[in-house]
Amino acid sequence: MNSTTSIVSILLAGILTNNMVLSKFLGICPFLGVSKKVNTALSMSIAVTLVMVIATAVTWPIYTYLLYPNFTYLQTVVFILVIAAIVQLIEVFLKKFIKPIYNALGIYLPLITTNCAVLGITMLNITDGLNFGLSLVNALAAGLGFMLAMILFAGVRSKLDTADIPEFLKGLPITLIAAALVALSFLGFAGIGG
Amino acid sequence: MKSKNLSILTNGIIKENPVLRLVLGTCPTLAVTTAAVNGIGMGVAATIVLVCSNLAISLLRNFIPDKVRIPAFITIIAGFVSVVQMLVKAFAPSIDKSLGIFLPLIVVNCIILARAEMFASKNAVLPSILDGLGMGIGFTATLTLMGAIRELLGAGTIFGLTVTAEFIDPMIIFLLPPGGFFVFGILVALSNSLAKRQGKPVVEHLGCANCPARSACKNAVADGEIPQECEKVGGGDE
Amino acid sequence: MKKLLNKIKPILDKVVAFYKKTNDVATPTLVLAVICIVVTLALSSTNLLTAGKIEALTIETKNKAMSKLIEADEYHELPAKTSYGDVTYNAAIKDGDTIGCIFVTEANGYGGTISVMTAVDMDCNIIAVEILAASDETPGLGQNVTKSDWYAQFSGLKGDITVIKGGSANHDNNEINAVTGATISSKAVTTAVNQALDYAQEVIVKEDES
Repeated sequence: MNSTTSIVSILLAGILTNNMVLSKFLGICPFLGVSKKVNTALSMSIAVTLVMVIATAVTWPIYTYLLYPNFTYLQTVVFILVIAAIVQLIEVFLKKFIKPIYNALGIYLPLITTNCAVLGITMLNITDGLNFGLSLVNALAAGLGFMLAMILFAGVRSKLDTADIPEFLKGLPITLIAAALVALSFLGFAGIGG
Repeated sequence: MKSKNLSILTNGIIKENPVLRLVLGTCPTLAVTTAAVNGIGMGVAATIVLVCSNLAISLLRNFIPDKVRIPAFITIIAGFVSVVQMLVKAFAPSIDKSLGIFLPLIVVNCIILARAEMFASKNAVLPSILDGLGMGIGFTATLTLMGAIRELLGAGTIFGLTVTAEFIDPMIIFLLPPGGFFVFGILVALSNSLAKRQGKPVVEHLGCANCPARSACKNAVADGEIPQECEKVGGGDE
Repeated sequence: MKKLLNKIKPILDKVVAFYKKTNDVATPTLVLAVICIVVTLALSSTNLLTAGKIEALTIETKNKAMSKLIEADEYHELPAKTSYGDVTYNAAIKDGDTIGCIFVTEANGYGGTISVMTAVDMDCNIIAVEILAASDETPGLGQNVTKSDWYAQFSGLKGDITVIKGGSANHDNNEINAVTGATISSKAVTTAVNQALDYAQEVIVKEDES
């Protein structure tokens, strides 16, 4: 496979067929928790995408040049600490230098440390054996996929507010069932990459 | 004293079931429950980590400065997760294969950080161990139940034993992501209606009150940046 | 003695003052560092205990899979240069003779990569295949390619295999039946097997020459 086709297929897979949230079940907490309004969903997913790409850019070289092959058992510990540190640094950096972005995204950053989508994508890049460039593309694709799922779902949820929901399903259950329907629509994309 | 310890243990199993009542750890709940046996594998692995990290954090609770509390907890949890990961790889490779990336991702399972932050860092060793054990059993039981339901409907088997596959065509959709969301939704609805009958509050949406990172939200609330979801927490809690 | 103590005291005071001043930063850093070191030590010792076992298990699993395909005394992992690039394969040796070659190849299925192990004899006929990984395929549909009664179809075929829908495949024409409802997964397995056969053509010819 040449590099252009693999970039396209990674993007397609990350955004549609192997969507982070709807087919890999990573990052469910923000997906269900921060998707009530479209604009908060958008800010959250921009922050997640940013952290995913930067975290991949840092963890990939650390794994490839420091941990591999003798210290691979430290992967989990090192990755989670690196992600925690990166999130802190991004927060401080944005607060100091790019105040408007901080105001928009800042509150979501601390939540991202314990977001399994970020740790998940950095680890998947390693297990899938992607090179540095493709890892970055993969992280970007995963972030964009997360964004697409969040925004679509926020749209669906805003309709739920005015819908007549059975008493039995009110609250979290109807949110989950709505998520099931959004996931169902994404099933239609499966097989595109084949 | 004895009955108090017992109630700490049972608390996590029913009253504060981490999956259905606190709505924590949703990622592994949805992802690995395509078969009952996976639910048990995930549950047991998480329980071991939960008990060990609660024990360690409770022992160290007076030594860890408040400032680096969260990074310290995460490091300790990640350590136990890696140990469990290596042991599973060496002694139960089939579980390692079926849990895949969700085994190392126990690190970011909110149940564990939430119990460290909310229970173990404030309580003595024995209650912390019991809390971890209770929460772990609650997590395992719910995952196994959900795995069994999805496996029965989606493959016609339970624990790999053929039940209905012979005479009813299995509904594969229950093994796929939409089926996961759907079964989870119905289980939460059932648990809600049970809670309502006992006069307890129902789970409205993902509980901010149980989120280990909520202290961060509170800072944001203080800054005047209130996301709608966290408003309630910023207002009244604690 | 008292003199000495008097001399040390101001220094000690200074140290205490410095410590108090830096306490805000120093203690947390120190505690965190100690935790990190302890965790690292714990992990390295667990690794020492389990690494050998994990490696033995990996080799055992691989050998088990290979011996299911071809029974042999030993398997030699060998590199080979082909027109498709460098590949690694295993030669199955019995009574000192190479009786077959084993290739591991991959192809994109419906949900992700499918990994297949193919064993061929010295005439490039497929002895048997085994699906190593297809966990990203749809359970109940694509994952049916991992069922032995499906992939047994490959045994005995030779060269360019095609997938037929609807169950009317002719074994003599190098055709196999697709899994019902999972043509893409079936095709992916076939692509991987065909690739293994392509490698085999080149590798085995070379082996005959040498």
